[in-house]
Amino acid sequence: MSNTPDQPPPSLVKIPPTESATRRSFFAITAAVVAGSIAVLTPIGVGLAAFLTPLFRKSKSPEVRIALLDQVPDDGMPRYFPVVADREDAWTRYPAQRVGAVYLIRLAGEEKPTAFTAKCPHAGCFIGYTPGAKVFQCPCHTSAFNLDGSRVNGDAEVAPRGMDALPVSIRQAKTGDGNTIAEVWVEFIDFQTGHKEKIPTA
Amino acid sequence: MTKLFQSLGDWFDDRAGVRKLIHESLYEPIPGGARWRYVWGSTLVMAFVTQLVTGIFLWMAYSPSTQTAWESVFYIQYEMNGGWLLRGIHHFMAQAMVVLLAIHFLQVVWDGAYRAPRELNFILGLILMLIVLGLALTGYLLPWDQKGYWATSVGTNLASQAPVVGPDVKKLAVGGSEYGHQTLTRFFALHAGVLPGALMAFLVLHIALFRRHGLHARKPDHKLDSMFWPDQVLKDSIAALAVLTVVLGLTIYFRGAELTAPADPANPYDAARPEWYFLFLFQFLKWFPGELEVWGAFIIPGLIMAVLFVMPWIGRTRTGHLINIALLCLLLGGAAALTAQAIHEDYFAAWNSKEDILKADDPVLAARYEASERFLNAKTEAHREAERVIELAESPQRIPPTGALSMMYDDPLLQGPKLFAQNCASCHNFVDPSKPAEEQPHAIVNAKPTAPNLFGVGSEAWALGILNPEKIASAHYFGYEGSPFVDGEMATYVTDTFGADISDEQKAKAKEAFAKIAEALEAEAALPTGPKLNEERKNRIAEGRALMTGGLSEMLDSGMSCTDCHKFHDTGDLGSAPDLTGYMSREWLLAFVRNPAGERFYGDNNDRMPAFGPHDNPQLNQLDDKSLGLIVDWLRGDWVRVSEPVEAE
Ligand code: FES
Repeated sequence: MSNTPDQPPPSLVKIPPTESATRRSFFAITAAVVAGSIAVLTPIGVGLAAFLTPLFRKSKSPEVRIALLDQVPDDGMPRYFPVVADREDAWTRYPAQRVGAVYLIRLAGEEKPTAFTAKCPHAGCFIGYTPGAKVFQCPCHTSAFNLDGSRVNGDAEVAPRGMDALPVSIRQAKTGDGNTIAEVWVEFIDFQTGHKEKIPTA
Repeated sequence: MTKLFQSLGDWFDDRAGVRKLIHESLYEPIPGGARWRYVWGSTLVMAFVTQLVTGIFLWMAYSPSTQTAWESVFYIQYEMNGGWLLRGIHHFMAQAMVVLLAIHFLQVVWDGAYRAPRELNFILGLILMLIVLGLALTGYLLPWDQKGYWATSVGTNLASQAPVVGPDVKKLAVGGSEYGHQTLTRFFALHAGVLPGALMAFLVLHIALFRRHGLHARKPDHKLDSMFWPDQVLKDSIAALAVLTVVLGLTIYFRGAELTAPADPANPYDAARPEWYFLFLFQFLKWFPGELEVWGAFIIPGLIMAVLFVMPWIGRTRTGHLINIALLCLLLGGAAALTAQAIHEDYFAAWNSKEDILKADDPVLAARYEASERFLNAKTEAHREAERVIELAESPQRIPPTGALSMMYDDPLLQGPKLFAQNCASCHNFVDPSKPAEEQPHAIVNAKPTAPNLFGVGSEAWALGILNPEKIASAHYFGYEGSPFVDGEMATYVTDTFGADISDEQKAKAKEAFAKIAEALEAEAALPTGPKLNEERKNRIAEGRALMTGGLSEMLDSGMSCTDCHKFHDTGDLGSAPDLTGYMSREWLLAFVRNPAGERFYGDNNDRMPAFGPHDNPQLNQLDDKSLGLIVDWLRGDWVRVSEPVEAE
C-alpha cells in the first residue's frame, strides 16, 4: 500500500481554513500550548526541585576537641592535629571521622593557642608544615604563609587571604583521679575558598 | 531464499524508507576523490562510539557512592575478565578524542571550512568540543581515588569563585557543601547521561549539516569525484583502526588506566594534577594571584571561547582568516608552553641535583626544588599506598562493607609510619642499623635522636644489641643524646661482662648465654615475623629462661642475672627495671606506650617519654586506642601479609 504519486503524504495535505475555524484555532493553539507545557514542565519542575536540594540544606559547624593544652607548648611553633568529628554524608553517618586538620600555635606566655585550619584559602588543598620551618606551604599552587597565618608575599600570593583562624576555647575536663586537665576546643568552620573575605560555606 | 530477503526488504523499505536513507548516507559524492585528510571527523565519531560502548560496559560494573566507587573500579580493574583493558581503552580513547578534536578543529580553521554557509556547523563543533571536555572532567572523578578526588576538588573550588552564582553552582555540582555520595551520583549522571545525550543530539545536527553542505574540498583538483562508499569509508576505517591501535598500545604499555589509593578527604594528595590536556589551564592560573583568579579562571578563558565562536565571521576576509590562523597558533603554542612549564616545575627535582640547586643559593630555585620534591614524594607515597590497598583488597579478607578507606585506616603498615612520624619521630629513629639509611626508603630518620631506635623491637637481633657492649652504648640503644641510661646499671652490667679483665673463654661463654637469652626474649615478644619454633630452638629458649632467672649469676663475675633487677614471670620484682614478662609483646608495648613511667616499666627512671594514654577515658589521652594499636602493630611488624607466601606449619 505505497503512496501513489497523486496522493501526497498526509503532512503535505493542506486544509483550507474557514472563518469560524480561525477563531477556533486561536483557542486551540492556546489550549495546546498550555496543556503541552504543563505536561512537559511538571516532571522537569519536580526533578529540578529534587536537584536543588543542596541549596536548601544548612549544616552546622561542629565544636571539636582538638588536643590537650599540654600538647601545645608555648614555643610559637605550629603543631598539626587532625580534626575528628562525626560527619554526615547524605544517608551515611560516619562517627569520629577526620574531617580536616588544624595547626595550633601558642606564643610564649599565652594561655590560648591560635588555631588555623589547614585548608588552603586559595582552592582548598591542605597546607603543609615541616617542623622547624618558618612558613606554611601549600603544595598545590605554592602559596606560602607566615606562622601568624598571613601571606608571605601579600597580594602577590595566589591565595586571596591569609590562613583562616578558627575560634578557640579552653575547657577543663575531669580526669579519672579527680583532677582537671585543660583541653583545646575549636569551632571547625569551613570557609569558602577563593574570596578575599572569610565566608562560611554552610 | 534470496526472494524471501528481497520481499522482506521491500516490506521494510515500504514502511520505513530505509533504502533511500542508506543510499543517501553512503553515496555522498566526494569532490576530488577520497582523501586521507578527510578522515578526522570520522575518527572522532568512531572514538565516541568506542566510548559509548566501553562506557556502557563499565557502567554495568560501576557503583557510584563513596563506599563503592573506588571498590567497584578496583573490581573492574583487577578482577573482571579483561576489565583493565576495558577501562584502559575508555581512559586512553578519551585522551585520543581530545587530540583528534584538536586536529579536526585545527584543520577546519586552517582550511577556512567555517566560512558561509558552514558557520552554524562550526559553532556546533565548538559546542561538541565543550561537551567532550565536560565528559573528560566529570569522568576523572568517578574512580574516587586520590588523584581524581583532589584534582577535581581543586577544580570545583575554582568554579565556586565564579562571580555571583559560583558558590551555588558549586553546591549543586557537588551536591552539598562537601564532596560525598551526592557528588558521585551527580557527576555520574552528567558523565553517563546528560553529557553523552547532549553530545549525541549535537553530533546528529553536526553531521546533518555537514551532509547538507557537502564536504569542504580544499582545492578541488582535477581528479575524478568519488563516492563516500566505499572509497572514503575504506580510508576512514583504516584511520579508525590506526587510532584504536595507538589506544590499545598505550593501554597495554601502561597496563591500563592508573587507580591510585581511595580518596581520603582527610589526607591531601600533594600531587593532585588535572589530566594532561588541562595542565595548561592549571599552570595559567598560577599567574593570577588572589582575587585576580577570576580573570584566569573565567574572564580570559571566556573571552577566548567567545573569539572562537565568532571565528567564522572574522574569517570572512582573507586577512581575517589569517588572523584566525595566527590566533589559533598562538593559543596552541601558549598551551603547549604552559604544559611544558607545568611539567618542568613538577619534575624539577628529578631533573636537577640538589647540590647544584643549593650551590646556586637562589631562594626561588630552592623553593621550586622543594615544591617539586614534595610533588614527587607525594606521587611515590600514593603509589605505595595504592599498591598496599590493592594487595589488601585482593587478599582473602577482601574489602569491608565500610569501604576501602576504612581498610586503609586499619592497616598498621600504612598508618604506622604516619603515626610514628607524627608522635614518636621527634625522639625515636626507625632505621635498620645494619644498612645505610639511604638504602632504606621506608626508614624514618631522626638525625639527633633522644631515645632508642625502634627498628625491629622485640626481635632476637634487637635484644642481642642490648646485650652487646658496643651496641648498647650506641645511639641506637642507650647512647642517644642526654641519655641517663648510658651509664646506668644495665649498660654497666653489659660492659662489665665483656670488660678488659675478663678472660676470652669467659667472654665466649657469656656471649653464648646472651644469645640464648635473646632468643628467650624474642619468644616473649612472639613477633609474627619470628622464626619457627622447632625442638632445638625450644630447648635454647628454655635454657635462656633459666639463665635469666638465676643461671647467669653463677656464670658471671658480677654474680647477677636478669631477675636481680627485672621481673620475669614468677621471678624477680617490679620497681627497679622494666618487667620482662611478655617483653615487647603487643600487650606489653601497648601498656608501655600508654604510661612508660608506670611501676611495671621505668617508674621514676623514665627518661622524658610522655605517657600517651594514661587515662581510662580515651578522650583525655594524647593518642586514641586505635592509633596506639596501629603504632604498636607496625613496630612489631604485625600486619596482613599477602605477597610473601605463608609458610605451612
Ligand atoms: S590551593 Fe593552596 S595554593 Fe592553590
